[in-house]
This record gives sequence, structure tokens and C-alpha cells, in this order.
Amino acid sequence: MTRKYIPTRFSSVDHGNIATFEVQPSEILTVFGELLSNDKLEFKLIEATDESSDQAGFVIWYIFGVPGDNSFIAAYIKVQDGVFPSVASLHPGATNYERKIQSLFGLKVDGIADERPLLLHQNWPKGLYPLRKDFDYEKRPAVAANSYVFNHVGGEGIYEISVGPIHAGIIEPGHFRFSVAGEEIMLLEPKLGYTHKGSEKLLERLGLEQKLKLSEKISGDSSFSHSLAFVGAVEELAGINVPRRAEYLRTVYAELERLANHLGDIGFIMLDASYNFGGAQGARLRERLMQINDHLSGSRFLRNVNVYGGVSKDISPEQSHELIKDLTSIAKDLGQVIAVAENSVTLMGRLKGAGTLPRKVADDLGIMGLAGRAVGIKSDTRVDYPYGAYDEVVLKHIALETGGDVYARFSVRIKEVHSSIELILSALKSMPAGPICAQQSTELILRKNSLAISSVEGWRGEIIYFIRTDSRGEICRVAVRDPSMVNWQALPYAGFRQMVPDFPLINKSFNMSYSGNDL
Amino acid sequence: MHILAWALQILFVPLLAPLGVGIINKIKAKVQRRQGAGLLQPYRDIRKLLHKDEVISEDASFIFNIAPYIVFGITLIVGASVPLFTSVIHLPSSDLITVVLLLATGTFFLALAGMDTGSSFGGFGSSREMTLSALVEGLFIASILVLVILHRTTNLYLIAGSVHLDYADLIAVALAGVSFFIVLLAETNRFPFDNVDTHLELTMIHEAMLLEYSGKKLALMEWASANKLIIFAAMLVNLYFPVGLASNLQFGTIALAITIFIAKLLVVYVAIAVLESVIAKLRFFRLPGLLFTAFILCLIAIGLVK
Repeated sequence: MTRKYIPTRFSSVDHGNIATFEVQPSEILTVFGELLSNDKLEFKLIEATDESSDQAGFVIWYIFGVPGDNSFIAAYIKVQDGVFPSVASLHPGATNYERKIQSLFGLKVDGIADERPLLLHQNWPKGLYPLRKDFDYEKRPAVAANSYVFNHVGGEGIYEISVGPIHAGIIEPGHFRFSVAGEEIMLLEPKLGYTHKGSEKLLERLGLEQKLKLSEKISGDSSFSHSLAFVGAVEELAGINVPRRAEYLRTVYAELERLANHLGDIGFIMLDASYNFGGAQGARLRERLMQINDHLSGSRFLRNVNVYGGVSKDISPEQSHELIKDLTSIAKDLGQVIAVAENSVTLMGRLKGAGTLPRKVADDLGIMGLAGRAVGIKSDTRVDYPYGAYDEVVLKHIALETGGDVYARFSVRIKEVHSSIELILSALKSMPAGPICAQQSTELILRKNSLAISSVEGWRGEIIYFIRTDSRGEICRVAVRDPSMVNWQALPYAGFRQMVPDFPLINKSFNMSYSGNDL
Repeated sequence: MHILAWALQILFVPLLAPLGVGIINKIKAKVQRRQGAGLLQPYRDIRKLLHKDEVISEDASFIFNIAPYIVFGITLIVGASVPLFTSVIHLPSSDLITVVLLLATGTFFLALAGMDTGSSFGGFGSSREMTLSALVEGLFIASILVLVILHRTTNLYLIAGSVHLDYADLIAVALAGVSFFIVLLAETNRFPFDNVDTHLELTMIHEAMLLEYSGKKLALMEWASANKLIIFAAMLVNLYFPVGLASNLQFGTIALAITIFIAKLLVVYVAIAVLESVIAKLRFFRLPGLLFTAFILCLIAIGLVK
């Protein structure tokens, strides 16, 4: 089915929902360009695997999705002499993936625009690459003193402000370097990696049950979506058929998670514009959702709900009835709050026109999720790669705005709150009866020497898990792609020529995950 | 009685200032449907900070160390100089020009202290404060100039003590009062100029200058800004609405005057708290526009004075 998108001169191998084909390194630029120019395909990610135990050396995977079909194609090259060519000249969004591979696998990228390491800091010794199989995980590396050079703006009167990684509020750590002329931001450079926990290495080493638990902690506010993407890939490799009721329940939980985060952010955006009324209301609405989550699953963040083969928590008819009542009242409640907020001249003056992301930049970098939809990029994993019950419980309208400013991202969230509530109500009404988890007699047996990709629309955007198994059927690589890794690149453009005191508001309107980016 | 009145005049501002902050915070919390901290929390904060050790940057010069005393001292002097509950007693510094000069000196030292340690936050806090002050200072004088022209004096007590006003002049006084209220918001770091409650370093003005302070010196700085709030509120209610000030130093008269004064202050505090609950902060570059509007109000007011 997906084979028709693969250039005919290559022979491909099917692995479930993904077709792979090998390309010679010298040819990859041509092939990447061909795939990129095919408008039926979407560039997804570039990942590397260390397959030296299976005598294949390092392999680089270039993965494209087929929207509307929940299937993927992957071109791969076997790296020769530790060097592979950069494809960033064809797609600027490739740079960060290549930098990540260069930093964590120690493979040299020929022609990369930015040589600086990603995620690993100056105190990490050179020549030590944690995602290589021969990396000694048990041994603490020596503290190094390398240097990291920020980009520099010359000229008279340019003042550099360094902010973070420790902030005054309870937020995640990240460093921002501003070069300002007066209050105007001439250059903004984030430096992240302060929450690098070696998650991808851990995901290779832990047992299957613990892997699932860890996936919930990749980015705490997206616990459910991350674990959903992870179990999705494992279920695909194990050939488990998830019962229909479980798919519906997953859809409901996933939307509840989106609701809680969107309501919280709607409040926080208003609070960061110092609009206290909106901030207080947002906090109140988010708390209602967290309590609903707690009531349904025993966890405010919906943890321990996803299991291999289904979910662990059912929703009883009484709970379902209660939930319908609560969500209907929350939708009305939010409507009233937003009506007041939209009438506030001072609030609208702050939100409109602040932090505008140009459409061209968003297209070039492949900005996704709500940040992408706020500049008019019509894509949503729930529609393009329907997973769970989204093939039957259909998202009717992708929330779109075209402004690209803080207000557009604020509005996309409001629209998505309403569409999420609609989705939950319709899922609850049409939910089939049956088991909530597939019966498993023995341990999971995964397809050998295979790979799987699972894609889920988290509240920020598309979360992708890429899992590779070796010739013994063991998981040898789990690559995690939180949308934040891509969307962080938009921030310097959205902040360009804005005022310094508007930056926290602009940053909050994206609200990217540090932990999900740093892994 | 004379001594008691003087003691009250001097101690009123520093003793009751933290309560004012507590009241505003409590009202804001209630409007947001939160319980909020107790009314006396600002006193507890000051006591807590006074008991703490300080961390002082190695790069700090003597400016950093003396600024809190200067800033706090100035608010004590100005607090004793502005008319509070009586228009009878006054100091030589109870003069419009002197008060403006003293407050500007306090701001100057505050801004110097912000830059002193060389931290980037202090630097832009000071830069923003000076940008605003340069504009606000002029508006401050303009809004009081209306009264000066009206009463032919720069003595604050004579202004507060005069009751015979032409009906037509009331409009001028009201307009000037509105623009003085905007001065109050700017000088005391209130919405839409600044947000004292924020944790976002990059948006701060006043708090950014205090970020390097801790312990006792921070207590003095916080106390000084509470004093400044009550000073401006007192000037607003007593210069533009000089009703109920004691005209002699009888015990009964003073007690009544204090009650009326506190009631008038409460009106200002409620107004600030409500304002902070219903509007958002303005974008920094929009602030000069607001100040300019207030300045036009003053010009109209001056034109109205016969």
C-alpha cells in the first residue's frame, strides 16, 4: 500500500505499518529530496540506531508519514566511516535531528550548519557518546570543562541578558540568552538540556513494565499521550489487537489530558499578561479537570492507566453520566470566562500582535501541533494518522488560526477545548461494551529485527515513538520525539524584535516541554 | 496633645503602611475567589526578613549597602511631611517641590542600587524605572501644579487646609486628581505599569531592582515601598479631597480625623485592588501614551482654573 511512494528502483521490506528500504549514503540527498517533494508524504523525523551487535554498524533512518493512512515509510543508510551527509539543505528542520545524532552517537554530519552539541553540556567529556552500545552505562563520566559559544550580535549599545537556567517561578530549567537593543530583542537563543536524564538510554535497558512507567515521565504533563504512543508501538511489534472499548477509553483519557493542559494554559497566558481574573479562572478550571482525572483513574496525571493491550481503568455508566454533566458545565463555564476576557481591552492589547511566528519559518522548520495550527498549518495526528478510536470518533474541525501571534495560540486552545469536549461526549455515547484489555497468556513476544512507529497527538503536537528490535526480538532502541524538540526552534523567530517584557508571555503561549526536549 | 499629634504624624506612615499592602492583597485574593494571606502578612514578612542573614554580592559597592537606608529614610521624612489627618502641624519639608525632590532622590538611589551589582536584571529594572520616572516626574508636578495655581502656595498643608473652593474649580481639581491617581499607580509600581506579584523576572520593573537584596536590607526596601504607597494615597485624598482633616489638636477632633482619613485611604486601596483584578498590564511602550493622556488632563485642568 505504502510501496507506491517508494521510488521503484528500490526494493522495500514491510514491517507492519512501516515500509523500509536501504539507500546508499551517496544517494540519500537525492532520495530525501524526492520523498520531500512528494506532497502525499510528510517528513517526520531522522533517527539513528547502533546495530553493531547485528553487524550492521550505525544506521540512520529518514522517516516519512503518509497522512490519512497511519502508515510510514523509512529510507535508511548504513553509516560508513562514521560520517553521513546532512540533508538540512533540503529541509532546515533536519538540523536538530542531525545535531542530536552527532552529539549522542558521535557520528559526524557532513555539511551540518550548527556544529554545537545538542543536549549534552560543556561538562560532558568529548568522545563519550551515550547512545552507542559500547557506552559504559554504570560508570559516571568525569566532569569536563569544554566551552559553548553563543551567537553574538555586534554593534554599539547591544546588551546581553542571560536568563536561567534557574528561574524565579516553579518552571523547568532552561537558559535563554538575549541580545537586546534597549528593550528590543535582536537575538534570542535558548540553550536547553538541563533536564537531560538519559531517558532514551534507560528505555533501552529497563524491563518492559518499567519502560512503560518511564514513558509516562518523559514529559509529565503529557503522561498519558507519551505512554499511549509508547504502548502503541510495542503493541504493533507484539501484534496485539487492542479491544475496541479500550481504544475508546484511550481516546477519552487522551482528550481529558488535553483539556486539563489547555485550560491551565489558557489561564496562564492571561496570568502572564497580568490579567488576574483570567489567571484565577484558568487555575480553577484546570483543577476541575485534574480532579475528574483523579476520580476516574486514581491519578491526576492519568498515570498507570495505559497497559500493554489496553487500559487498566474502565469508566462505569454512572461515571460516564457524571462526566458528561461535568464537561457540559465546564464548556459553558469556559465560554463565560472567555467572553469576559475578550472584552478586556488591556488583555487583548497584550495578546494580539505579540510574538508573531511567520508562516514561512513555521513551514521551513516543520512547526507542528497547536503552534503550527496557530499559523494556519492544517495538520492534526488525530485526523491524519487516526489511532485509538479516532477513526470512528472523528475530529470534525481542525482548530485553525492564521495570525501566528499569542492570541492565535490562545484561540486555538479555546477551540480545541470545545472540540475535545465534543469528542469525549461522542466517544462516551458510542462506546462499545467489552473487555478493556487484551488477554495475554504469556510474556509479550516482539517481532524480531523489526521496527515500529507510533504517533499520537499530544496537547502540544505530534508525539512519535520509534522502536527498533534486534535479531533476538529485544528492544534495542527507543527514540522519543516530543513536539517540543521541533517547536523550540520557533521561539527565537517569534521573539525576534519583540520587547523583553513580552518574552515570558510569548514563551508561555508556546509552553514547550523542557523535559520532553531534553530527554 | 501637641506631642501626641506629632508622634502620630511621624509614626502613622511606617506603622500602618504594611497593613495597606495586606488589605490590597486580601481584596485581590477575594476577588479571585482565593482565601489569601492574612491582613498582617506584610508585617510578618518584614519581621521574618529582619531576622534573616543577608547574601551580598562580592561586586556590590557601598551604594548597594547604603541605598536601603536612604530609600527607607526618605519615605520616613516624606511620610512625616505630607498632611495625613491634620492640616495644622507641618515640617519645613512639607513643600511640594521638596517632596518631589526627596522622592526623586529615593528613586535615584534605588536605580543606582539596582545597577550596582552588575546583574542583568537589576540593569534593565533600573533602566525601565528611569525611563518611567523621567515621564512620571513631570506629570507629578503638573498634576499638583493645578492645586498650586489654585491656592497660590506650594505648601502642602495650606493646600490641604483650604476649604473655600469655587464650584467651577472642582472640575479642575477632579481632573488633576485623576491624573495624580495615574501618578500614584506609576510611582507605587501598580497596574498597569508594573506587577509586584509576578515571578517573571523579565517583566519586572521595581522588583527587578530589588532582586539582589535579601534579609534586613530587603525588609527595608519592601517597607519603603509600602510607605510610598500610603504617602501617595494620603496626598491623593488630602490634597484633592481635603475633607475631614482636623483643624485643631483636640483629642476628639484628631480621633475623628484619623477615622475619616483611614476611610478615605480604604477607598483608594479598594480602587487599586479592583483595578488590578480587572485589567491586564499594559505593554511597556504603551505606558508613555497613558502618561501623556494624564498630562493632557492636567493641561485642561490648568486651563479651567480661574
